[in-house]
Amino acid sequence: MSTEPIRSVKDLPQEENLFPGTAACAGCGGLLTLRHCLKMLGENVVIVNAAGCFTLLSIYPFTPFRSSWLYTAMACAPAGAQGVRDALDILLEKGKIDPEDNLKVVVLTGDGAAYDMGLSSTSGAIYRNLDFYYICYDNEAYGNTGFQESASTPFASRTKTSPAGKGSVKKDLFGIWNSHKPPYLATISPAYPVDLANKFKKAEQYKGPKLFISLIPCPPGWSTDPSHTFKLAKLAVETGFWALKESVFGEVEHTYVPERFKPVEEYLKEQGRFSHLFSPVRKEEQLGRVQEMVNEYWERFGILL
Amino acid sequence: MLKLRFHGRGGQGAKVASRTVGTAAFMEGCNVQDFPLYGAERRGAPISAFTRIARGQIMERGVIPDPDVIIVMDHTLLSDPQAAPLSGSNKGGVVFVNTPESPEQLKADYDIDALVITLDLTKIGLDMVGSSILSTLAGAVASRIIGIGEDSLKDAVEKELSGIIADRELLEKNIEAALYCFRSLEPVEMKTLQSEHGKSTVITMPFERARISSPAINAAASSILKQTGNWKVFRPFWDYDVCNKCMICVSRCPEGCISLNEEGFPSVDNEHCKGCLICVEECPKKAIKAVRGPVPDQVEVTGE
Ligand code: SF4
Ligand code: SF4
Ligand code: SF4
Repeated sequence: MSTEPIRSVKDLPQEENLFPGTAACAGCGGLLTLRHCLKMLGENVVIVNAAGCFTLLSIYPFTPFRSSWLYTAMACAPAGAQGVRDALDILLEKGKIDPEDNLKVVVLTGDGAAYDMGLSSTSGAIYRNLDFYYICYDNEAYGNTGFQESASTPFASRTKTSPAGKGSVKKDLFGIWNSHKPPYLATISPAYPVDLANKFKKAEQYKGPKLFISLIPCPPGWSTDPSHTFKLAKLAVETGFWALKESVFGEVEHTYVPERFKPVEEYLKEQGRFSHLFSPVRKEEQLGRVQEMVNEYWERFGILL
Repeated sequence: MLKLRFHGRGGQGAKVASRTVGTAAFMEGCNVQDFPLYGAERRGAPISAFTRIARGQIMERGVIPDPDVIIVMDHTLLSDPQAAPLSGSNKGGVVFVNTPESPEQLKADYDIDALVITLDLTKIGLDMVGSSILSTLAGAVASRIIGIGEDSLKDAVEKELSGIIADRELLEKNIEAALYCFRSLEPVEMKTLQSEHGKSTVITMPFERARISSPAINAAASSILKQTGNWKVFRPFWDYDVCNKCMICVSRCPEGCISLNEEGFPSVDNEHCKGCLICVEECPKKAIKAVRGPVPDQVEVTGE
């Protein structure tokens, strides 16, 4: 791949490595993220997919991928990736596959597996410096089973198991992963495909764990119109709710900072999962708390004073 | 016993429809069962829901292969082999289809023996509620067909929706639209509600060798054979006079089903477009419109 940075959507690779005909919901933000990730990764990959929405992408006898795909339980996709990587390395060493036929190993999981169940196996894989990619499509709840609360669910969001709104805050997975000082770690968004593409380009030069977390709008779980998926992903970034950043060996830098942050309310009020904050009466205290948390985050980096 | 089967697409409200008619019948003193059946799939994919209603005990369990009333909430499901909504329909039964077409037309097109009733629920939903979610409307037509009273229906809609919708105004609109659908149809003379014992139908799976029962997918990108184009209510339609080929719609389609034609204009794969309408929302030139109805030849229409 050329090292020239990608400047606009016109420069994005034309090739499609994720095909239509899948069972994902209309307007799924995760599918849009994955489509862009696979454009950058190419077709020579093995996807190791933990149970979640995206295990429904490959349902026998159909698959939307050009590449191989392996299904694991929720907690162990990084362990599965270790096995695949080891097998490939042995084949390479024995000369049974050509170096140009080498494959990238890509873990694909939702937030349930990434933030909750699979966290220890991910920590182990990063610690062992496993050469793999990890893409987490984070819709902030267990979307595949009907939107139950996960460790990723943000404060005040309504889910099936927190009907009055979650009381605790979203787990900082980026921070946890970053404490391992992996070679490359980034947050991405389907609404910023150019930023996403350049992050994959940058990640490619490192051997070892290359980790990505994408916040993804989920129309049925978030109770939003499918046509608003892109707009919401963008609002999450423009309000400062979802920070676009990367980290190389533990050094964090923001890759995009909005010139003026929009009030976080603009993002919340579009979503059914936050509608209880606006009607029948406005819950000023909770709304204020969400805005405060966003401000505190940016203040910590000296970006918002 | 009366047996109803609902066919819809995930997100259209087949489950709530079956609950609504079940709750309404319960309020009239019947015993009721209702439950949905999903595949492993998501919003837009075919799903079914079932309701059994009887004055006496209901001893039958499981899916309903031989319903008295079939409610088809999406016309395109009629020709969907996975949904197979007409399976098990019989001469004495009723098939309701949400479509602008006439019953005679459908009877002829799909060779249906049962009594066919039609009403354009999607239009009523869009006009009166502003949404293509049809749960209460389908629940209302089912209630009417099996002869449930208007008051029970109204109470049932109120009860089912108050747990889902917080907005009182929206709830009122739903009730109004449900009653409108209810009154648009005539009740049908149905069999008695006395319960009867169905023969037990236990399905046993044959034992298969591992190579057969745990298959491997060997063909890449085979999902293209699966058509998801009939998931949509509205489809995107391009005006090439306005489009400036900026590629934004191409980069924002989750399905990746917009490609460029020979002249460099975006062109949609209608067999796979799920109708999320992100492209319509995102086009900076407003060159894409959301339209209903069958797919015309794009080139011909824009050439006018
Ligand atoms: S439930 Fe949400 S994350 Fe899962 S496929 Fe649907 S839109 Fe995507
Ligand atoms: S986004 Fe609009 S203007 Fe741009 S290519 Fe698509 S249709 Fe044309
Ligand atoms: S409606 Fe959605 S799926 Fe269809 S072409 Fe537009 S963006 Fe793609």
